[in-house]
Amino acid sequence: MNCTSKKYLALMNKVLDHEATKQEEQVLDQHLALCEECRMHFNQLKYSTNLLNQLAHPQLPVGFTKSVLEQLPLEKRHAIREWGSRHPMLTAVAICAVPTLVMIGARHQNRSKNDYVLINASSDQS
Amino acid sequence: MDQKEKRLIRKVKKGDQQAFAELVDRYKNSVFAISLRMVGNTQEAEDLSQETFIRAFNHIDQYDHDRKFSTWLFRIATNISIDFLRRRKANVSLDAVVPGTEGLALSTIIPDGGELPDEMMMRKETEEMVQLEIRKLPEKYRSAVILKYIEDLSLKEISEVMDIPVGTVKTRIHRGREMLRKSITAGGGMRE
Repeated sequence: MNCTSKKYLALMNKVLDHEATKQEEQVLDQHLALCEECRMHFNQLKYSTNLLNQLAHPQLPVGFTKSVLEQLPLEKRHAIREWGSRHPMLTAVAICAVPTLVMIGARHQNRSKNDYVLINASSDQS
Repeated sequence: MDQKEKRLIRKVKKGDQQAFAELVDRYKNSVFAISLRMVGNTQEAEDLSQETFIRAFNHIDQYDHDRKFSTWLFRIATNISIDFLRRRKANVSLDAVVPGTEGLALSTIIPDGGELPDEMMMRKETEEMVQLEIRKLPEKYRSAVILKYIEDLSLKEISEVMDIPVGTVKTRIHRGREMLRKSITAGGGMRE
């Protein structure tokens, strides 16, 4: 732009950003009334931003939300529950296995304690 | 942010997918508009919108309740679009055909085989022209301009989405606006 002052360009931006005071708006208006070049520049800026504002907001297809949900990771708690209902036998075995394993483990521990006691006892004897 | 949204997010943090579906319904068209104007292609924009929501769900723990949810979400959306554009730039050679700007709004309004009235035709042409010019903007100006003029965000909100100072947002918008003015009004002048 040939108009010597960058001041008016800055004012245009302020007005377009809705940050200009009433007084600043007046200053710009007065200048635009006299300067054809700045007037055209300002009109072109307004024209371009209007076009941007008018751009359509297209809608997504109806199934969008559903297809997003389908791609989410399975919920953890639900995942365990679903596995259980899909494999009832395995679940039953797993549930029974836990106390059995605990019992075996406990006996094993007792036995090794006894062994230890026995060894201690035998070492005392010698 | 309203109370209902806060409640929904708390549920999502516990893994509630139905609550997340409600959030998707609230914001899907805004996210789609950002992606579409960033990349200029409806199919790609739809894929990127999906990616945005999936990433949001997977990282919901990182969302901070003190900020606006939309701000956080739009940030993911713009980042995903920018990543995509960089990948595309890396893959496509310079003289390859740029993917089309086909099917913006009108394809969803007009039934197959229906004829376009003149006014709609004009509107479609203008839209395509504007979209093309937006796509010529450097990414950082493009996202600022889109958040301002497509999403109607305030300068403050844009600065939060882009994580840059308000002053920088202004500079980017001013430069983007000036570039669009030049390209839109070049040659043909203004069309009403």
